[in-house]
Amino acid sequence: MVAVKKTKKTHESINNRLALVMKSGKYTLGYKTVLDSLRSSKGKLIIISNNCPPLRKSEIEYYAMLAKVGVHHFNGNNVDLGTACGKLYRVSCLSIIDPGDSDIIKTLPGGQ
Amino acid sequence: MVKFLKPNKAVVILQGRFAGRKAVIVKNFDEGTRDRPYGHCLVAGISKYPKKVIRKDSAKKTAKKSRVKAFVKLVNYNHIMPTRYTLDVDLKDAVNVDSLVSKDKKITAAKAIKGKFEERFKTGKNRWFFSKLRLHNLLYIVGENTDSSIVLVEKGRSCSSSALLLEALGVSVPVYVDQMFL
Repeated sequence: MVAVKKTKKTHESINNRLALVMKSGKYTLGYKTVLDSLRSSKGKLIIISNNCPPLRKSEIEYYAMLAKVGVHHFNGNNVDLGTACGKLYRVSCLSIIDPGDSDIIKTLPGGQ
Repeated sequence: MVKFLKPNKAVVILQGRFAGRKAVIVKNFDEGTRDRPYGHCLVAGISKYPKKVIRKDSAKKTAKKSRVKAFVKLVNYNHIMPTRYTLDVDLKDAVNVDSLVSKDKKITAAKAIKGKFEERFKTGKNRWFFSKLRLHNLLYIVGENTDSSIVLVEKGRSCSSSALLLEALGVSVPVYVDQMFL
């Protein structure tokens, strides 16, 4: 699978958008809550780190396909995603429930 | 953002006695109840799949091989894997929550479902639902080179239940990069 080389600029803007969601929106972090949010159709966008175990990644993608929710593969591992969320722990997958002021949901799906 | 855990959805049970069996959702309890304060659903599933029928079989043998044993169960959402398939069989009149209260009610409900399942199986529709989840010929990719030039596979022996089931669902085979094989 040829991955489109993400330029530094778009990567930074994703981080900015994520920071805005953390500040103003609603989100949940972690595999269990991501699946919960998908089942209850509350999740609007799922972000998965690149070192998420492939079985778990496939499972989340399948759930998201059933729920018709976009999945974004974050260009970084769980440590980076945790940092991008402003947390001091690793985050492998997260679900955005309410984007708040951010336009992350409009700009991201359609991409990876 | 679409609710997909709805009645008539085909699911695979992941835990418990019926792990690996296919079932269909009859009723959802998204918010849970007082006894079960978590999201769960009432499912009707296949306990014993119908066996493979061949042309040589006599009518008596075909009838025997096409038998289905059904079960009724309340399952936690965490213990099922939803699929993209549905099975539109009207089970609501046959099964409801109070048929799980006592054993004989459960048996009558299971018999009613068995009839409906057998009827549907004989029409030849919903073939996926009535076929056993084929776990014995799954390949479990153990290692792959960084440039994807070498892929080592191993016959799946003791993979976790969800791994096996995801593969059987036709989701892309998971790949693990194992340092030893590089």
